Amino acid sequence: MSVYKHEYRAYTGTLTPLWVRVAVVVRYAFAEAWSSRITATLFTLSMAPVVVYLVGIYLANNALARALVMKGNSFLTINASYFVKVLETQSWLALVLTAWIAPRLISFDLADNALPILLSHPISRFGYVLGKFIALFACLSLVTWIPCLLLFVFQGYSSEQPWLMANLRIAAGLMAGSLIWIVLLSFLGLAMSSRVKWRVAATGVIFAVVFIPAGIGGIIMAILRTKWGLLLNAPAIMTQLWQQLLGAPVSMRADFVLPDAAILAMLAAVCAVSVYILNARIRAREVVRG
Amino acid sequence: MTNAFTHSVMAQPWGLWWLQMRRLVRIELRRNLFSWKAAWIYFLAFAPTGIIFIHLFVDRHTQSAFTEDTNVLAGIVQFYYIRLGVFFGCLGIFARLIRGEMLERSLHFYLLAPVRREILLLGKFVAGSISALLLFGTAIIADFALMYAGFGPVGSDYVFNGPGLAQLEAYLLIVVLACLGYGAVFLLLSMMFRNPTPAAMLVLGWEAINPVLPSLLQKISVASYLRHLMPISVPGDGIFALLTVTTEPVAKWVAVVGLMTLIVVVLAYSCFRVRRLEIRYTTE
Repeated sequence: MSVYKHEYRAYTGTLTPLWVRVAVVVRYAFAEAWSSRITATLFTLSMAPVVVYLVGIYLANNALARALVMKGNSFLTINASYFVKVLETQSWLALVLTAWIAPRLISFDLADNALPILLSHPISRFGYVLGKFIALFACLSLVTWIPCLLLFVFQGYSSEQPWLMANLRIAAGLMAGSLIWIVLLSFLGLAMSSRVKWRVAATGVIFAVVFIPAGIGGIIMAILRTKWGLLLNAPAIMTQLWQQLLGAPVSMRADFVLPDAAILAMLAAVCAVSVYILNARIRAREVVRG
Repeated sequence: MTNAFTHSVMAQPWGLWWLQMRRLVRIELRRNLFSWKAAWIYFLAFAPTGIIFIHLFVDRHTQSAFTEDTNVLAGIVQFYYIRLGVFFGCLGIFARLIRGEMLERSLHFYLLAPVRREILLLGKFVAGSISALLLFGTAIIADFALMYAGFGPVGSDYVFNGPGLAQLEAYLLIVVLACLGYGAVFLLLSMMFRNPTPAAMLVLGWEAINPVLPSLLQKISVASYLRHLMPISVPGDGIFALLTVTTEPVAKWVAVVGLMTLIVVVLAYSCFRVRRLEIRYTTE
């Protein structure tokens, strides 16, 4: 019997729950991200500063080691400023990891015109982007808030004083500061990777969208004599935000300090633009030019 | 021996090579300058020009602001153009010349044509250099003109009767050398690596930490040579200002010759590499 003579009716069997469908995208995205040896190398390199900071905490809390290694000097103080340094280091390494991983998650699908096939499966565009987002977010978590909190716990364990409970704000700041940064990086990384088809170019563009606006912001500040150019400088505004979240003294000149609301509004605007780009680019269609 | 060498050089088809290079340059120039894909390089080059243009109309150009604006212009060239604008612009232009053709699967057409590979490489390099120089050179001239236009006769006197023109010449020389230097490096990286961007980011990091390195290592850098050519040096802020190792000043001609030598060495090695270049599109 010909196919068209069959009667078609809707599938009545059990449907896979939505979250399981997203989990499939996450699983494959994870596999794709870690299929490269460079990802593993970058991850290992990202852990090197953690070891250094760990040794710093050990030295600061162990009198015998301090006497042997640092000749009794006690210039190493473990406080909010120390953990701001930890967070800064790990966050910039997360940018490097994003520039490598994010294009692997999206660009291959776009370059190979695989999106129409992927989205013809029972998964929505939102589910697809969410799956990729979760995979990238998880990868970045491994180098940001997880090691930062482990260092915090180690400091609490090593300290002779009741340090941990008295400094819970640092832990909360580490968590919040990391989450804000990796959400921003995940959105930005996925959006840029979807905009630039070539993975080679996407890696460079992710760096460029962080550093070029910083340079332009600096020019605006210098020429127009206004502090608002600083809003384009992601390294500067994030450092200010992290210092405030952790309760560390703000290192920026007083007349350059921006209101927190302005910083958060800027970060939200960047995320919104990224979502707009993702919405425009992640479509179940293929444009064929003759 | 000398006669044989001269005879061999004269026997080469220079006319044909010149013609092939001109054609190649024309094709690449059209692609680099007149396509929508190149719009972001225009943005990189002319973003400061737009800001200075706003400054021309918004701010008052008092006598006290003159020195400050001169320092700001030096800072724009030193920190924005050299470290960011020209760097990322050249990365985009030069990394695309070979690697981009591989990704578009069109490089084999060039390799199948009866053109020497060195001519192909040098033609692409010349085209990339002309594109970068046109964009960034024009941007520097526009920045300079707009910065001093607001000061009226004082600005005009500074430019034509004072040190202004010499400064503009120095800025243009710096941009020319930066474009050629970064261009040669990125062209080589795009042939050596499937994804040249991580290597380029290492170059960016190397250039950033260059001032704190020992003076011997400082010589393996584009920015270190350019630093000696700056007519007005703006000190860096933050921790790097404390760590900066002050090297003895180098004569301008030494800096120019040093950088030109670096460019020639990198291009010569690129010509050597391109002769062995093989494409397997399945692995690209």
